[in-house]
Amino acid sequence: MTSDEELMLAVGQGDLAAFGEIVSRHQAAAWNAAYRFLSDAAEAEDIVQQAFLNLLEAADRYEASAKFTTYLYRIVTRLCIDRSRKKQPVYTDDLPARATPGSSPAEAAERGERDEAVRAALARLPDRQRMVVVLRYYEGLSGSEIAAAMGTSVKAIERLLARARMGLEQDLAGFFGK
Amino acid sequence: MRCEQVRQKLDAYAANELTAGVREKVENHLAACDACRQALARQRELAALLRGVPAPPVPEGFAARLMAAARERVSARERPVTAPASPWRWWTSVPASMRLAAAAVLVISLSLGALMGWDTARGGAAAPSASAQADPTAVYNLDFLADAPSGSLAEAYLTLASAPATEGR
Repeated sequence: MTSDEELMLAVGQGDLAAFGEIVSRHQAAAWNAAYRFLSDAAEAEDIVQQAFLNLLEAADRYEASAKFTTYLYRIVTRLCIDRSRKKQPVYTDDLPARATPGSSPAEAAERGERDEAVRAALARLPDRQRMVVVLRYYEGLSGSEIAAAMGTSVKAIERLLARARMGLEQDLAGFFGK
Repeated sequence: MRCEQVRQKLDAYAANELTAGVREKVENHLAACDACRQALARQRELAALLRGVPAPPVPEGFAARLMAAARERVSARERPVTAPASPWRWWTSVPASMRLAAAAVLVISLSLGALMGWDTARGGAAAPSASAQADPTAVYNLDFLADAPSGSLAEAYLTLASAPATEGR
């Protein structure tokens, strides 16, 4: 299978089919990161489209010096934080209903309440803390990958995560131990 | 290691990203510190809480919309850029011989005008002589023009101009 880096080099030569393959492989990850950060489907789609188009524009200057996904997350992160600074995140109520077989209405309602509380707690975090939480807990990036995506050090990421965890634990205290 | 340092390492510890040496120090601290062990338990519970919240899938048709936008961008880049219309484009469309002729007419006209102006200036700068006072037409010294035709309006004006001031009162 052609690597992401090889595909990007082909995109730089004008290969749109290679670009389509890049989109196919990474649209879900980019979408998840943007959606988790912004909590708004329309904004997230706009950001992700912009991220891929930025990739396309810069493809002729792409150098495979870092993992492609780091490069992609760097673009998504920057766009998300810029967008968040321009406006308050819109907290939409369009969470998909979680249908767990055998769960009662009460359990479903409780789960819904918990999910809402988590999203609200995330939305209250400062931008950079929220982004490290998204990249760590939802995208599964390592400390060094997050540091590369956010243009900072691993130590700074550890501090951001520790502070974010403190804020989230405080906001979600009522759901611990359940 | 102090508690604050250990708490900052908990995420990396839980993800098994620490080097062997640092991992050992964290584990030694956790074995002796109840508060940090509880912090680790909360970190794991938090991770489960966060990951338990679903996200909607990628919107339907997203890839198709993106590829359409990408094709448009590439086409726009490849479209030839037309230079803005030059205001002198009409001049370059005229045949060279005609341009030369037009230039010659311009030069001759400007020269004639300059000559006329020079003669006028020369005639006006001279101290008014007794003959100039008596004959106002002499000031203009338009030698290359013919006299006013007999019976013409020009002759009448010239006659009027040369009449003494007392006439007409």
